Amino acid sequence: MMARPIPAFIPALAPPLLLIGAWQAASATGLFPAQVLVPPSEVMRTLASLAVNGELSAHLGQSLFRLVFGFAIGATAGLAFGAALALSKWIEALFSPLFLAVRQVPVLAFVPVLVLLLGIEEGFKITIVAVAAFFPVALATFDGVRGVPKAWFEVARVYRTPLVPFVARILVPATVPPVLTGLRIALTRAWLVLVAAELLAADSGIGQMMEMGRQMFRIDVVLAGVIVSGLIGFALDRGAKWIERRATRWRTA
Amino acid sequence: MSMLLKRPPARIAIGLVVPVLILFWWQAQSQAGGARALAFVPLGSVATAFAELAGSGQLLDDALATLSRAVTGLLLGGIAGVTLGVVMATSRLVDRLVGPLYHAIRQVPLLGWLPLIGLWLGNGDGAKLLIVSLAAFYPTVLNSYEGITHVEKRYLDVGRIYGFTSVQRFRLILLPAALPLILTGVTQALAFAWIATIGTEILLGSGSGLGAAMGLAQAQQRMDVILVAILVTALLGFTLNDLFARLRGHLLRWQGASA
Amino acid sequence: MTAQSRISPTPPPAAPRSASGALTISSLSKSFTIDGKPLPVLDGIDLTLRPGEFVSIVGASGCGKSTLLRLIVGLDTDYSGEIRLDGQRIATTSLDRGIVFQDHRLFPWMTLEENVGLALLNTDIPKDRRAQIVADHIALVNLSGFEKAYPHQLSGGMAQRAAIARALVTEPKLLLLDEPLGALDALTRVHVQKELQRIWMAQRSTMLMVTHDVEEALYLGDRVIVMSPNPGRIRRIVEVDLPHPRDRSSPVLHRLRDEILTELTGAPDPANLVRFPGTEER
Repeated sequence: MMARPIPAFIPALAPPLLLIGAWQAASATGLFPAQVLVPPSEVMRTLASLAVNGELSAHLGQSLFRLVFGFAIGATAGLAFGAALALSKWIEALFSPLFLAVRQVPVLAFVPVLVLLLGIEEGFKITIVAVAAFFPVALATFDGVRGVPKAWFEVARVYRTPLVPFVARILVPATVPPVLTGLRIALTRAWLVLVAAELLAADSGIGQMMEMGRQMFRIDVVLAGVIVSGLIGFALDRGAKWIERRATRWRTA
Repeated sequence: MSMLLKRPPARIAIGLVVPVLILFWWQAQSQAGGARALAFVPLGSVATAFAELAGSGQLLDDALATLSRAVTGLLLGGIAGVTLGVVMATSRLVDRLVGPLYHAIRQVPLLGWLPLIGLWLGNGDGAKLLIVSLAAFYPTVLNSYEGITHVEKRYLDVGRIYGFTSVQRFRLILLPAALPLILTGVTQALAFAWIATIGTEILLGSGSGLGAAMGLAQAQQRMDVILVAILVTALLGFTLNDLFARLRGHLLRWQGASA
Repeated sequence: MTAQSRISPTPPPAAPRSASGALTISSLSKSFTIDGKPLPVLDGIDLTLRPGEFVSIVGASGCGKSTLLRLIVGLDTDYSGEIRLDGQRIATTSLDRGIVFQDHRLFPWMTLEENVGLALLNTDIPKDRRAQIVADHIALVNLSGFEKAYPHQLSGGMAQRAAIARALVTEPKLLLLDEPLGALDALTRVHVQKELQRIWMAQRSTMLMVTHDVEEALYLGDRVIVMSPNPGRIRRIVEVDLPHPRDRSSPVLHRLRDEILTELTGAPDPANLVRFPGTEER
């Protein structure tokens, strides 16, 4: 009765395949110098050799180490600061004007400041990742905690719930969904800023690999870096969304 | 004590406590001497640098260069983004064809394109503008798509009853109904375009612009100049945002207080 | 779907009368498909509306009243049987037929004036006359002075009156009202009912109103169609032989209301018995 529908992935795969095909064909014409266009097969070969000789995993390891370390610091600080800002009127009065003002500065504008303060070593990269993660997490935590209905605080007061169970049983579960969204946004933001920082000043990492590729006119290395950084970005976003879904399942269940 | 928090002048004073303490601490660091003095420049020299840069017209040139780059990129990327988002939402075929490619390309960290674009276009204005436009493009595609696909059917029914042509349906129903989300996309695009402008200027480090000034000042170890550039960047960013929020409020005045 | 077309026993179209707007529904059936199984919602509906008549339909939820209106207005054309307006079979939407929904469906991004005017976009009325026609209809529903207001600035009753103006501005032969006052509070409702009666008397187009308020159905209707659910069928047709404008406290209305409520619920609702005679008009 019904014609079997074409699976959704076939039209979805068509344009990327066409693009890769056209790219391969264009580079085969020999009209473009190798600094401008290399065939996709060449990029794949480079990617494979970088993977085999361990160069890729060394760069990737460095980048991920910086990301995890910086993100952990920035997110923890953001959580604590956002919660404190939301819970205490005094802390809000003291810190929120400064917080709002500093938020106006694009994170990358801190790069020159931090380079002068910290040099271009690991400390700088971890700090810039932490700064990038701090703001979205702090903001989401503040909004999340402020979003907890006032009635719940009143219930806790009526039953004289001690602070620890109140935080563990009421505050945390209620704020988990918005905070997780904030953490996910912070994670992709941190990845963006880290790659940018590595482009500017680093002796290792995915960003540095791409920058070296550019300086040596190795477009295959640059493209390999683009692919890897895209895959990492995708994995981070998907992974965070997966955790978000699992952790907030109780809301719909 | 908490009465104090309810009085606006007192609140402002309290809000100034931490920034003033930081400034004092900074000033103390600058006088401590040694290696740190290089980074912690005296506050007086920041003011001097501001006067100097503003006086020579350098600051105005840089600010205008950054501003025009951000606005041009926002317009180019925003118009392209809204167009693609709307076309994807109205045409299943385009959605199927372009959607996956869009989502794949979007995964690459924005500034990760810089080395590639640098190889292709050099590190001049073209490369910067392309990145800034791309920054504005992503969120507008996404939000316009969402806006159009979520237009309520009950409004479309009204269009059918009065025999709307497809042009009328688009102009009088789909577009205005999607406008709130489209403008949310443009708000995000503005923020991303601003970050991308400063970022590309710092990273490519050529030509004029506030980011280029910061990059140069970093190389010359002039913290005072960096701080002036950051201050101006923050003020301009805030102003742009505020102006756009007003424009948005005007365009969405039909939403009333609930919006 | 068993969309078998059968020869309907519709009489040949009546001779042209002075007023148009005669609706003929014959052997109308409609079903939805839920989980692959057909679920009948309307079954064997036969109904004729005379030009200029006001007919109300009452019935419990799920009796297919709103579906019936969607079919007549032409938003849904998947049915078996016949629906004809002045002899012409209904196949799609048309400016001949206006509709007012329970939610006013004014476009929030347009002013009242623009909302009413959009109904005229695809008519052949000359552009320079449209503004006057829109103004006349805004005046008809007593909203003059609010032309530039956005829907969020109007109260529920005003918005619903604006929706009525939009539906009437094309001077449709038939106006369909799908629980038009269902979302209004009790006092506003009484007020808009009076307005609706006045508008109908001024306009005299054929009107078909769905409601679950029996009093409202009787107060406005020349006839009241009582429907039963699962699937929707016509159970009874009640003639209300009273001239307009009507007096809400008329004993005839009172008696008919008790009859219909008994029909619908099995016994007159004591709450209604107490409330109705005391209802005072403004």
